[in-house]
Amino acid sequence: MAIATHGTASNYLQRAPSPSGLADVVELILDKGLVIDAYVRIAVIGIELITIDARIVIASVDTYLRFAEAVNRLDLTQTEAAGLAELRDGGGDGKAKGMVEGAKDALSGEGDRKKERAKRG
Amino acid sequence: MRVALQSPTAGGTDASAATALYLYGVTWADVARPQPGAGVHGESVEAVPYRELAGLTSAVESTKVPAKRRDLLRHAEVLGTALVHGTVLPLRFGVVFENGTTLVEDFLLPRYAELTQLLRKFEGRVELSVKAFFREEAILAEVVRANPRITRLREATRAASDASTYPLRVELGERVAAELQERTLRDRQALLDRLSRLAVDVQVDQQPIEHQVLGASFLVERERVALFDDAMNELAQEQAERMHFKYLGPLAPHSFVGLTAEAR
Repeated sequence: MAIATHGTASNYLQRAPSPSGLADVVELILDKGLVIDAYVRIAVIGIELITIDARIVIASVDTYLRFAEAVNRLDLTQTEAAGLAELRDGGGDGKAKGMVEGAKDALSGEGDRKKERAKRG
Repeated sequence: MRVALQSPTAGGTDASAATALYLYGVTWADVARPQPGAGVHGESVEAVPYRELAGLTSAVESTKVPAKRRDLLRHAEVLGTALVHGTVLPLRFGVVFENGTTLVEDFLLPRYAELTQLLRKFEGRVELSVKAFFREEAILAEVVRANPRITRLREATRAASDASTYPLRVELGERVAAELQERTLRDRQALLDRLSRLAVDVQVDQQPIEHQVLGASFLVERERVALFDDAMNELAQEQAERMHFKYLGPLAPHSFVGLTAEAR
């Protein structure tokens, strides 16, 4: 492409000099730009292959179920592990308890809470 | 290549001419350059001058122009090349005149004052297009952690996605959608606050596209493009974990050109 970019060496984000994908170009020159009065012919036929990967957000049950599914698929093990570690630390506070016992308390405590939430939900 | 364009003064008044004239944009006559083979269907782009203005055109076989992928890209590239030489007013894809004479008589002449005024307005300015999208996993994790009710609903519905959890899943999704909407609006405003002060004008796309935080075009002075790049780099770096960006330009001012309603 003929346009030079001013990129610096440490560019985190590269500016593309011209639209390369169909979606970009469609947006740019089919939706925007000068349009001329009705007496000039505007002749666009057979807009083929215009599939834009953008999904419009619609407030519908289907959308909600999709979001619910996406949230449920999430792997939050990092935070869950952190949560457990915190509980373990808390359980380990009482010096009379052994490590294993403390951990067991913490885990069963977490389990109870889960059941409670499920009931309330 | 079928036909070389007739010189604009000759104009091809002959109604039987088999070709028509496709118009890409309008630029100053003194910076209008031909672009051999660069146009729609591989035709050469030629300037049709009128006083200080010139239309960038190429011959097309008929007045119906199929919007083929390749030709859409060529239209954009012709404008991109023209922008290197000077200011250009981009036309929407598919504007066709019968010949050079009608281009002048129906467009360049009656709209001369408006077109020159527009060209002056965009002198030294380019359009930069910015899109920002949430990274789905990161933003959803953020939403789950931030909202206790969502956390609980997630835990309650994770194990079974059958009829028994249906109402809970609908509620979960609805709450997630609401949180996403709130974050979208908040982050959009934050991005606009950072970028708008580097621009002369902004056009924000209001269409609610899933996970799109911002879709906007900025009209920026050429000398400030490097500053804008820096701001974009900063944002991309700061937000790397939760957003990705599409950054395009410099472009002719597609989002900022407009002619007032028909003046005959």
